[in-house]
Amino acid sequence: MLAFKNVSKSYRLKGIKKTILSDFTFEFPTDRNIGIMGKNGVGKSTMMRLIAGTEPPDFGHIFRAPRISWPLGFSGGFNGSMTGIENIRFVSRIYGQDTKRVIEYVTAFAELGRSIRLPIKTYSSGMKARLAFGLSMAIDFDVYLIDEITAVGDEDFKKKSQAVFQDKLADSQIIMVSHSPTTIKQYCDCGLLFEGQTIRFFDDVADLLSAYADLNRR
Amino acid sequence: MKLITTSDLLSLQVRVIASLVLREARATFGTSPFGYVWAIITPTVSVALLVFIFSLIGRQPPFGSSLALFFATGILTLQFYTELSNKLMTVFDANRALLTYPIIKDVDTLIARALLIAATYAMIMFIFYAALILLGLAPLPARPEHLVAAFLATWFLGLGFGSLNAIIFSLWDTWGQIEKILTRPLFFVSGIFYVPSQLPPQAREVLQWNPVLHLVEWFRHGFYSNYNSTILDIWYPVSIGAALFLLGLAGERFFRKARF
Repeated sequence: MLAFKNVSKSYRLKGIKKTILSDFTFEFPTDRNIGIMGKNGVGKSTMMRLIAGTEPPDFGHIFRAPRISWPLGFSGGFNGSMTGIENIRFVSRIYGQDTKRVIEYVTAFAELGRSIRLPIKTYSSGMKARLAFGLSMAIDFDVYLIDEITAVGDEDFKKKSQAVFQDKLADSQIIMVSHSPTTIKQYCDCGLLFEGQTIRFFDDVADLLSAYADLNRR
Repeated sequence: MKLITTSDLLSLQVRVIASLVLREARATFGTSPFGYVWAIITPTVSVALLVFIFSLIGRQPPFGSSLALFFATGILTLQFYTELSNKLMTVFDANRALLTYPIIKDVDTLIARALLIAATYAMIMFIFYAALILLGLAPLPARPEHLVAAFLATWFLGLGFGSLNAIIFSLWDTWGQIEKILTRPLFFVSGIFYVPSQLPPQAREVLQWNPVLHLVEWFRHGFYSNYNSTILDIWYPVSIGAALFLLGLAGERFFRKARF
């Protein structure tokens, strides 16, 4: 179960209060892929952090039973002075995975060659993203969080990522933030739309997309 | 979908903390095996130096026949405590990036760092005291079980004060400077180079409020068969440690939102 119960969240920056959620109650469907849309700065990324549990709500409760990923492809959790292997080992340990299997999988997938034994601070951003993506794929999550899918690597790598990801979708669910109607349509079958102060759930992705288009026209 | 059981949560907690200890060890000591050796040698040598200087000035040892043992019980204990209260202070800031992984929480990083410091100091103390005994500078401990208990109590007090430090520091970073000034006198009021029981009653009256003094006395009680401290109350540092740790945890919960 992944559910928000009477959740409120706001930020106060330089005296200006910005409300993201107020008394929001919602139970996420467990067998569907959910898109989250809305204009810039309405709080979609905050919503992702609340779902992941990396940030607490001001009021209310978030019930979270499934194993939820960190935002796909995000490499901010890596320790720069540790090598690729060491970072992989750490993450697979905290998630209780077979360390050897994960290292083999990520090494083969990320195609970093011998760089995998060098400190992460020597990596380019593309290399880091490939490592982070491979690592999220190596661990079995129930829910994958995606904050704007960003394709990394060359054509071959993109194709490979796509294939692996499609494969994952058979057993896992995704919750995705995106501005792109094409991406949402490709991956999601229902969704939430941030419209000013309210958040609306759409059971059908086509309705979500047309409401989003209306929102942008206004 | 099934709910998570308590035993699952506990094993998750243990797994996360164990991984963090390993990572912290790697980050602190580097990749070379000498990193860890250095981490143990540096404090050992600095204590040895202090003991050496004291014994140069040295008159008769304040208690027992070994000046080195007497000072070591004081300095090593204080250093272990100080290391905890200092290093834990910055733990939340240092590990901010790790919170990217939803599975890791602030308190895990705190416990992990405290465990690593405990392991390091257990090693340091073992080497130091074993060396003193082998060199004939110290007798075998009279009450080894009390040494273990005193070590655990020192860890607990350091963890308590360190976690409270971590909370205050995360809300107000000037605290780092203030804490340094406030704890500077500990070197003089913790009974490192005198026997607290031999002080005039007025002095004892004041000094007995210092929990670190009790820990130093506890270590000596463990080593000497006839130390007969009139001050030592083993429950005092333990209760202070428990109170501070609970206060620290409550602070973590209470100010959690303020830290984001």
